[in-house]
Amino acid sequence: MTNPAMAGEKVAGETLLAVENITLSFGAVQALIDVSFKIEKGEIRAIIGPNGAGKTSMLNCVNGFYHPQQGRIIYKGTVRPQMKPHVAAAQGISRTFQNVALFRGMTTLDNIMTGRNLKMNRWKTSLLPAALYIGWTRKEEAAHRDYVEKIIDFLQIEAIRKTPVGRLPYGLQKRVELGRALAAEPELLLLDEPMAGMNIEEKQDMCRFVLDVNDEFGTTIALIEHDMGVVMDISDRVVVLDHGIKIADGMPDEVKNNQDVIDAYLGVSHE
Amino acid sequence: MDLWQAIVLDPILDMIDAPEFLAEVFIGGLMSGVMYSLVALGFVLIFKASGVFNFAQGVLALFAALTLVGLMTGTVPILLTQVPGMEMPPWLAIIITIVVMIGMAFLVERIILRPLVNQDPIIMFMSTIGLAFVLEGAGDILWGSEVKTLDIGIPNSTFMWADIQFQEFDIWAAVISAVMVVFLALFFQRTRVGRALRAVADDHQAALSVGIPLKAIWVVVWSVAGIVALVAGVMWGSKSGVQFSLSLIALKALPVLILGGFTSVPGAIVGGLIIGVGEKVAEVYWGPLVNGAIENWFAYMVALVFLLFMPQGLFGEKIIERV
Repeated sequence: MTNPAMAGEKVAGETLLAVENITLSFGAVQALIDVSFKIEKGEIRAIIGPNGAGKTSMLNCVNGFYHPQQGRIIYKGTVRPQMKPHVAAAQGISRTFQNVALFRGMTTLDNIMTGRNLKMNRWKTSLLPAALYIGWTRKEEAAHRDYVEKIIDFLQIEAIRKTPVGRLPYGLQKRVELGRALAAEPELLLLDEPMAGMNIEEKQDMCRFVLDVNDEFGTTIALIEHDMGVVMDISDRVVVLDHGIKIADGMPDEVKNNQDVIDAYLGVSHE
Repeated sequence: MDLWQAIVLDPILDMIDAPEFLAEVFIGGLMSGVMYSLVALGFVLIFKASGVFNFAQGVLALFAALTLVGLMTGTVPILLTQVPGMEMPPWLAIIITIVVMIGMAFLVERIILRPLVNQDPIIMFMSTIGLAFVLEGAGDILWGSEVKTLDIGIPNSTFMWADIQFQEFDIWAAVISAVMVVFLALFFQRTRVGRALRAVADDHQAALSVGIPLKAIWVVVWSVAGIVALVAGVMWGSKSGVQFSLSLIALKALPVLILGGFTSVPGAIVGGLIIGVGEKVAEVYWGPLVNGAIENWFAYMVALVFLLFMPQGLFGEKIIERV
């Protein structure tokens, strides 16, 4: 008899995304050189490294903003052709941005509703019915509004529902951005420095949300973060980049004691 | 004291003396205001959804009206001969004109917007000036430059109500505008496509990341702006004939936008009405003091005052810059 999986335990082994031998350059600048790693279904995968290591470039490749010159990306078992970001989004890849990229003129609610874009019935909300604002469109809107309210409850941002996000403090903006990404019910969630610029309490809140998202929805998360304490606490596995090259890959503890990683962070004289 | 009397007391006494006349001036102002609002609305739509100030909006209205007249009179483009029996009924001509405007939106996206993606707003603005000239030229070549009458069958009789004279046409114009504004406001605020439009205006990358394709959105925006331009073109054309000076009404839309705020649909409407009423009232009651012609510059004075004291307009989004 097999043991039933304990609550919260990861079912390991199934690969959701694999990047293989990715090389990306802008003119003479090499952003990524021959980088390969895998993200298993259901794990929290941290991508760390000093500034300019190529972390954000990596995420941009995964979500289709950049197209690597070499290498391939295998998503859900199939090699992915070069694709536009909105197509990647349609395949279940959501993300947040390093510099908060919210729709500043809109309210919290509308921002998160925009995240539902791909989940809404395309015909019922297409231009003509929408312009006439007939019953279908209204019903569809209401149904998705319900889901968005659940996200708002989950992230505890009820009080700022109707506030234009441009007026919110930075920490809350990051939370709204997470909400928008969650609204798409992603299979793979890319978080680019979700805790940058936050105070200790905001960081703790955000950590809790990331862990809860992973737990409750089973969402696979790839996370770029500079706070080593956070990375060691919440991630299952860590990949380390430096100057576009992968220098380590493994459990948080292994990575922490890896000499190359220590050198990259503290700096050694390259002879 | 004489000055005080001439500037403030006399005009007010005049107003009180003849309230019916004041009401007529007021309503006349509202009606020309509706026209300004219609043009301003087209600007707001494109500005809201792409951050581009579309200088070609006035010409778009002209082009739509020219196409409509051409189809209704059965004119062959370029040759300008009228083929008997090819005259179309208004409803058919309107549908075909809408299709033409949507086709134009596709062309604008393909030829202008796509190659210029991620350029500065000023470059996009310059490209719309170019578009304005191209469209004006195309309108001239295709449909000829003489003044044409446009009659799509909106009744235009005069009637009296409570001692005030009304034009039936003006009432229709107001009703059509009101309906259009309500739909546009609902569309922008409450629907998926509307939100996608606003999202694209705010942040291209973030919009892409939630699965909004930019190209499709631009085509939608320019199509909607083209249809609004058609309505504006029909209204102006029916009132004063379809002529090339129509493209100059774009200039009057500028103060309306400054007053109402560049990003606000209700602002375009209220701004248009205020300017319309303001310039009529100013012309009638204060015009004699300065030998008339207040109507020509009143709107720009108001715009100037707003730029100084309230640059975001009455309804525009306040720009908050964090340092």
